Amino acid sequence: MSLSYDAIVIGAGTNGLVTAHLLARAGRKVLVLEQATGEPASRDIGWIPPQVIADLSLTKAGLTIDTADPWAAIALEGGGRLELSSNLQRTAEAIGRLSARDAAKWPEFCARMHKVASVLSALYSQPAPDVETTEPGELLRLGLLGLKVKGLGRQGMIDLLRLLPMSVADLLDEWFENDALKAVLGIAGVMHLRQGPRSGATAFNFLHHHVGSPPGVFRLPASNLSHVLAGLPGVEVRRGAQVTRIRVAQGRANGVVLKNGDELAASLVLSSADPRATLLGMLEPGWLDPGFVRAVGNIKCRGVAAQVSLTLAAEPSFKTLSVAPSLNYIERAYDDVKYGRVSANPWLEARANGRQVDVHVQYVPHTISDGKALGDVVVQKLCEHVPGLRESITARFVLTPADLAAQGLTEGQRYHGELTLDQILFMRPVAGWTRYRTPIGGLYLCGAGTHPGGGIAGGAGRLAARQILNDPRL
Amino acid sequence: MATTYDAIVIGGGHNGLVTAAYLGRAGRKVLVLERRERLGGAAVTEEIFPGFKFSMFSYVVSLLRPEIIRDLDLPGHGLHILPLESTVTPMVNGDYFGAWSDHDQTRAELMRHSPKDAEAYDEYGRLMYHMAHAVRPILGMVPPDPTSMSPRDLMGLLKVGKHFRGLGAEQFHALHKLMTMSSADFLDEWFETDVLKATKSASGIIGTFLGPRSPGTAYVLLHHYMGELDGVFRAWGFAKGGTGSVSETIGAAARRFGAEIRASAPVTRVLVKNGRAIGVVLENGDEIRARTVLSSLDPHRTFLQLVEAKELPDDFLGDIKRFTFRGSSGKVNLALGALPNFTCLPGFGPHLRGAMSISPSLEYVERAYDDAKYDEFSREPYMDIVIPSLIDPGMAPPGKHVMSIFVQYAPYHLNGGWTDAKREAFGDAVINALERFAPNIRSCIEHRQVLTPLDIERITGLTEGNIFAGELSLNQLFFLRPAPGYAQYRTPLAGFYQCGSGTHPGGGIMGASGRLAALAALKDGA
Amino acid sequence: MSTFSLKHTPFHARTGALMESQQWRRWAGHVVASSYELLHDREYHAIRSAAALLDVSPLYKYMVTGRDASKLLDRVVIRNVGASKTGQVLYTCWCDEAGKVIDDGTISRLGEQAFRLTSAEPSLRWLHLNAHGFEVDIDDVSESTAALALQGPTARAILQQLTSDDLASVKYFRLIQTTLKGIKVTISRTGYTGDLGYEIWLDAANALPLWDALIAAGTPYGITPCGMLALDMARIEAGLMLLDVDYVSAHRALIESQKSSPYELNLGWAVDLTKERFIGQSALRAEAARGAGWQFVGLEVDWMSLERLYEGVGLPPKLPTAAWRTSVPVYEGGAQVGYATSGCWSPLLKKYIALAHLQTPDATASKQLAMEVTVEHQRKQAAARVVKTPFFNPDRKRS
Repeated sequence: MSLSYDAIVIGAGTNGLVTAHLLARAGRKVLVLEQATGEPASRDIGWIPPQVIADLSLTKAGLTIDTADPWAAIALEGGGRLELSSNLQRTAEAIGRLSARDAAKWPEFCARMHKVASVLSALYSQPAPDVETTEPGELLRLGLLGLKVKGLGRQGMIDLLRLLPMSVADLLDEWFENDALKAVLGIAGVMHLRQGPRSGATAFNFLHHHVGSPPGVFRLPASNLSHVLAGLPGVEVRRGAQVTRIRVAQGRANGVVLKNGDELAASLVLSSADPRATLLGMLEPGWLDPGFVRAVGNIKCRGVAAQVSLTLAAEPSFKTLSVAPSLNYIERAYDDVKYGRVSANPWLEARANGRQVDVHVQYVPHTISDGKALGDVVVQKLCEHVPGLRESITARFVLTPADLAAQGLTEGQRYHGELTLDQILFMRPVAGWTRYRTPIGGLYLCGAGTHPGGGIAGGAGRLAARQILNDPRL
Repeated sequence: MATTYDAIVIGGGHNGLVTAAYLGRAGRKVLVLERRERLGGAAVTEEIFPGFKFSMFSYVVSLLRPEIIRDLDLPGHGLHILPLESTVTPMVNGDYFGAWSDHDQTRAELMRHSPKDAEAYDEYGRLMYHMAHAVRPILGMVPPDPTSMSPRDLMGLLKVGKHFRGLGAEQFHALHKLMTMSSADFLDEWFETDVLKATKSASGIIGTFLGPRSPGTAYVLLHHYMGELDGVFRAWGFAKGGTGSVSETIGAAARRFGAEIRASAPVTRVLVKNGRAIGVVLENGDEIRARTVLSSLDPHRTFLQLVEAKELPDDFLGDIKRFTFRGSSGKVNLALGALPNFTCLPGFGPHLRGAMSISPSLEYVERAYDDAKYDEFSREPYMDIVIPSLIDPGMAPPGKHVMSIFVQYAPYHLNGGWTDAKREAFGDAVINALERFAPNIRSCIEHRQVLTPLDIERITGLTEGNIFAGELSLNQLFFLRPAPGYAQYRTPLAGFYQCGSGTHPGGGIMGASGRLAALAALKDGA
Repeated sequence: MSTFSLKHTPFHARTGALMESQQWRRWAGHVVASSYELLHDREYHAIRSAAALLDVSPLYKYMVTGRDASKLLDRVVIRNVGASKTGQVLYTCWCDEAGKVIDDGTISRLGEQAFRLTSAEPSLRWLHLNAHGFEVDIDDVSESTAALALQGPTARAILQQLTSDDLASVKYFRLIQTTLKGIKVTISRTGYTGDLGYEIWLDAANALPLWDALIAAGTPYGITPCGMLALDMARIEAGLMLLDVDYVSAHRALIESQKSSPYELNLGWAVDLTKERFIGQSALRAEAARGAGWQFVGLEVDWMSLERLYEGVGLPPKLPTAAWRTSVPVYEGGAQVGYATSGCWSPLLKKYIALAHLQTPDATASKQLAMEVTVEHQRKQAAARVVKTPFFNPDRKRS
């Protein structure tokens, strides 16, 4: 077997491609293997850190970021909608029609949340802090982060310390009284999480989804990132190539085996697949210590979000629409999934892009894959607020966590590991292995399962590539 | 106006008494003012029915600090803690799960359920030992203020940081997980036996308004392991004579150090002059002066009732108002003419001398929480049941027994509010749920007392009936308890201190808050 | 009413009937005899002069079978299991990731893909944790498999009467699958006494008939049921360590200094660093290069020194009647250089012997050290000399 590539990247998602391109730009010969055969996704949801855009000159390459404005519109119980936009004044006016008290608090709420999120944003743009370090450089970096925190001022620091472990419901109850407002904000706290808004630390998830957005915007932007990355020259991407084995010799990864039996050699293997699938599924068994195997097996990775994609005959009347009348509604939706059921009344959020409508639905356990029933529920719920929608649907496509799991994504969790306090920063993907390395020499992780995690397009991929290029072996 | 005192302690619960004892021990002239006719707050023994004595609220001694036991010589004043040896959980299928104090016995029991868990149990126990060891110094530490730039606080933070870094990577990570995870998730990493996880996780939800699947419940799992380290063999147990005897022995110690303790003396207001506490006003109008005033009442009572709002800064008041209580537990005290007969272990047996945990499955406990989330009491609640009269025969007439049932969830804010009828319905739910596992229970009952969170609030004064004087959730711990910047027992008023469970570390019959507060006041020259 | 009782071994109906001294002890959740007779002397001497019959059923036993069985064991233990032959028994220990010993036991290769592992502590979880991705079955057969040790010079003669297979051909640390008076057994030439001896593994259901057959065949040869007190002395003479007494499992140790590596336990010979991969390998490789900081050695207490200490208080030397298991300090010129973890007076060798952990520089053979002894309530130091173990190593053990 000849060594034809410097590096093989598993997975052609945004993180995999960002890693691949950054390695290619550093002169490495890179092959990307993607199991899917189809075209790259046309739309990606997620904040793209500015460093990613700069490093790969993505703006020049045609990157467009669609920050929907209004970023959320929630269907009100008595009819009508509450629209939230990036314009704080306009949003406050909209909220004021429901609650003058809440409207008055909106600007301060947005400012305070933005301040706390700015700390996360700084943390997300660099490797996870190594709190165990004794190395001077890392200690300095920790010190600078500490200064950044101190720079928040007294109130900001208190917010940071208090908020992260709180439930998003408690956070919102402290600020607001209107159910619809709290629900539409609360959604960001449980996005891709098998928790309800009353669960601890959902306030962190809320802030995570605010990182990178301007004050007053609590949803991730959409972009054409995959498309742009796929169009960049410099790496070979092979689609329809499923990796079944990562080969190891003398404790080092030396290539992969494809489903069709092909063996490909490389001195570096990088996986943007989720850590559990990579390390417990693809990696040749027998090389990992039991403590590490346990830690990887314990990564909480419970997919709960399904996507229903509708193609309409005509552009719908909305750009975005959320169905979640109250925090209790979301909480009850969560109750179902706790006991292994699909939410009888799921919360959903639709985003329209031309005639295409993508609906995020929660909660759907990864153990159930009745896409038909789910699609019906979603259409029914939307129709309650969008008259004539049903008649307008020309195509419908449902993707459940079970479907994603069948494609190899562990438990159908799109973030490759839930974003809970025990699975972020120096705990992601597992404690002690936060620098994209694995116990196997030459094998790296570069997907959303690593820092800074899901919802941040290309963030992990960029940091992984930098780590690899810094490591002495290459 | 008669005597003046060096210090007045408001509230004669165990923390207030500990504070008084430590101040007395330092030579201060101390007066304790208790609203009720008896001492103890939530740690009281009352003869609710003739001949039947109950630890009416708090019923086990868990984490009473060993330094307090030593410093105040509580055994010398009569404190005797009797062992609570086992926890048995009846299961719906008629089986049970028992955790005993003998290792071989517990192992044999675990082997019945899962050989893998039998081995994991020991390893888990060792991890908990290490974690408890790691956390122990924090319990005895005045929390530094992270927002402060003062050298003392910065040094304090550095000390905390150094302590945790000193644990080594493995333990630090484990502790991080313990502090941030849900008890169910944490236990899922170790065990496969559902009833074992349910029983362990139930200890993680006590006094919180969270379910076992909610992050922030795992760290309470530590509590069961803390006592073992403290050099107080059998730190987890019953106080002979009920938990009231803990308060009484601390009170006796305080008196020996010269403290004056006055019962039936409700304080209505703290006297403030020029931003300084100078004494208190009693309900009967008496004013008593002192250089230092310490309140063991919870933060809401202390700052929203005893002190006029104009005396306190707005942002501090805002923080105090945000401090949450949400009492979530109730208590049912039964006078029994005969012992209950559990289907899983018929007849009399050693299991009755320990705790019986009604937590047959994780789903059971989680569902109990679901009811509470929507402001109902659990139709099938989690219960922690003990029969102290089997260990301490003096608690009931010969041949008869007292049963203490800790019940969760019973939300303070019940739909439609608590009424007498709702209280009885809640009591019935408890008996119905228990009857599933001990079918003869109804026929054993001679008397029944049902305490809702509202009752707990009315009797003990604990806001919203929260047994920990404020939720022990992560955002209300350590330097955030009860408010950032005021977690060091001091208050915005000079000469005014907080010494109750609403301060770090709070929770249980621990006494640590009372002791640390006394030390803080003494350090300031009280 | 529920009452808990410790488990009985499959031989309890017989061992219980023999119990004169009422000296039971716990072993892995079972009750076993400390000694059957009022004194354990005769049981001890049977090991060295006739044959002692020991109920060792409480040992943990696991069957590891399947395609990757030897791969799994090779991954877990320090010795080379793949290189062993069917019918071979390996004594080995296994380590954690940091190369510290978790437990020790034997691996019997019963077939190409079938192994029996014995251990002092439960090991099911550890085996499972290591089995990720392997095609292997791990069965806990601790309860269903009964085990007896027949140890002493007449052991072979006793067993030979009950089987037609030639036991003389079963070499040291080899096994044979045979029948004893028609009962299917595996006999391995192994034991914990350092003497000629065998261990017999069988279905627990056949425990009593086998016991009876052995007693019947063995009576003319001096077969003597023997308890743990006697065994403890014999294993010290043989220089064999005991978990929880002589070392602490890496899984139970509360602090680093309680842990030991194989090199520190005198098991360096068993570490096969050339294997492709096993748990703890890189740490052990580094330790091998560096040299171990500690050694596990024998100590022989100087009689004259002991006599002088007792003379000082007007007494003749007082000797332990059974093995002791409390750690005592060992000194070199006043400075502590280690600790002895178990010791006894060897009635056979007429020597006071002990097993000790010593810092490497002080662990050379014949080195003169001092061990703490308590003489009439006073702590004293008796001269002691480092010696190679085993203290007692008869030719018959291997021949």
